[in-house]
Amino acid sequence: MPVSDKLEAYLEDIGHYLSGRAEREEILAEIRSHILEKAEQEHGDAAAASLEKVISTYGPPRRVAEKYLEGRSVIAPAYNRYLFRYTAFLFAVHLALTVLAVAVKKSFIVFPFVFMPRLDIMEALMYLPTAFLADLGLVTLILTLITRSGKDVKLPWPRFAVDLDEVKPTKRSVRNIVGFAVMLAVTAFGLSVFLKYGTLFFARFDLDAPRLLFAAGPGRRISLLVLGLLAAATVGLFVKIFTASRWTNVAGNVAALVLLSLLLRQPLDGALAVPVPAKLIPKIELALVLTLLVIAANLAVDLVKNLVLLGWKKRRV
Amino acid sequence: MDPETVNFETEMNRGFVQILVLSLLQKDAYGYAMVRRIRDLGYEVEENTLYPLLRRLEKNGWVKSKWEVSGDRPRKFYAITGAGRKLLAALLGLWRKQNDILKFLTKENASV
Repeated sequence: MPVSDKLEAYLEDIGHYLSGRAEREEILAEIRSHILEKAEQEHGDAAAASLEKVISTYGPPRRVAEKYLEGRSVIAPAYNRYLFRYTAFLFAVHLALTVLAVAVKKSFIVFPFVFMPRLDIMEALMYLPTAFLADLGLVTLILTLITRSGKDVKLPWPRFAVDLDEVKPTKRSVRNIVGFAVMLAVTAFGLSVFLKYGTLFFARFDLDAPRLLFAAGPGRRISLLVLGLLAAATVGLFVKIFTASRWTNVAGNVAALVLLSLLLRQPLDGALAVPVPAKLIPKIELALVLTLLVIAANLAVDLVKNLVLLGWKKRRV
Repeated sequence: MDPETVNFETEMNRGFVQILVLSLLQKDAYGYAMVRRIRDLGYEVEENTLYPLLRRLEKNGWVKSKWEVSGDRPRKFYAITGAGRKLLAALLGLWRKQNDILKFLTKENASV
């Protein structure tokens, strides 16, 4: 590589990290002048070997550029904690809307700018990471604009569920063992009922002549999903006996949300094995959907809380 | 030297180098000449610290600059402004006060 190319390549590397064309050119011109003069004055010439020596003492390009960027944060340190909190808050709303879009099987617009397309489960799972990135981007943009304005903007501090500073880490305790034992018993009982009758739902539970609530096919599907929810909770509690990792909670929340979404998609019409007036069915369906959505919303909030705590823990390390 | 000690040293240097540069710029000078002059005075300032500092001082109006071609190379010359002189006077006043306090405390500690 020719001498001048070596120096220019070094300057170009520094320039990669600097913004503003005119300012960048000015900075690089000054560094170029300095390096050439230092090579001549201290090494006798501006040949390749001399330049290499000077460049090596001037410092790595990124470090050099950062000296010019000191005090120019994208997001001012005072607003750093808002980034995760606001993103988590927005994502919780997005997650709840996604569950709703899956449940109602329709696209809708939440004024002013959230468009929720009609989604099935797989599409929703693909959609959520994009939604998270969009939320993160929006919050970053707002905080960057506030930082650039240089004004002391006092932002609200939304609290949901519990504040991070007040949270104590999960402890392994007797509660987990008792919880696991209870859930194991409930799941085992549910499984035994399912294996014997093919469903968990009865209009009248009579051991000799039980009257089923749902028809065979839908009853089996709904029962399996409920058993899945019970099993996921049991496994979660079992793992928590051995570890306090919040990833256990995250995995449990995600599994439960997926199973709930599947449950929400089960049509009630034609599923009931007992005679119910046709006009009552939409009302029963609405009540069930609302109940499941409340549970899903709780799970979503818990999921976001756990993700926030994981991020918080990482930042503190 | 452990990283925390290095941090303290860097913080102390930062203030000192600002006063040093403003003091040097009573006469017009360009970057490399300043580095040499500081070295001759028995101190070291990294080039990649000096130039960003000069840029910040210029942005705040405490120094001004102009490109001049002397010999075969363009050089950026810096000079202190009126506002820079006022700042330097204030900083030197502060430094003298700090120096007096530290001298007094060192003397007091030595007699304990």
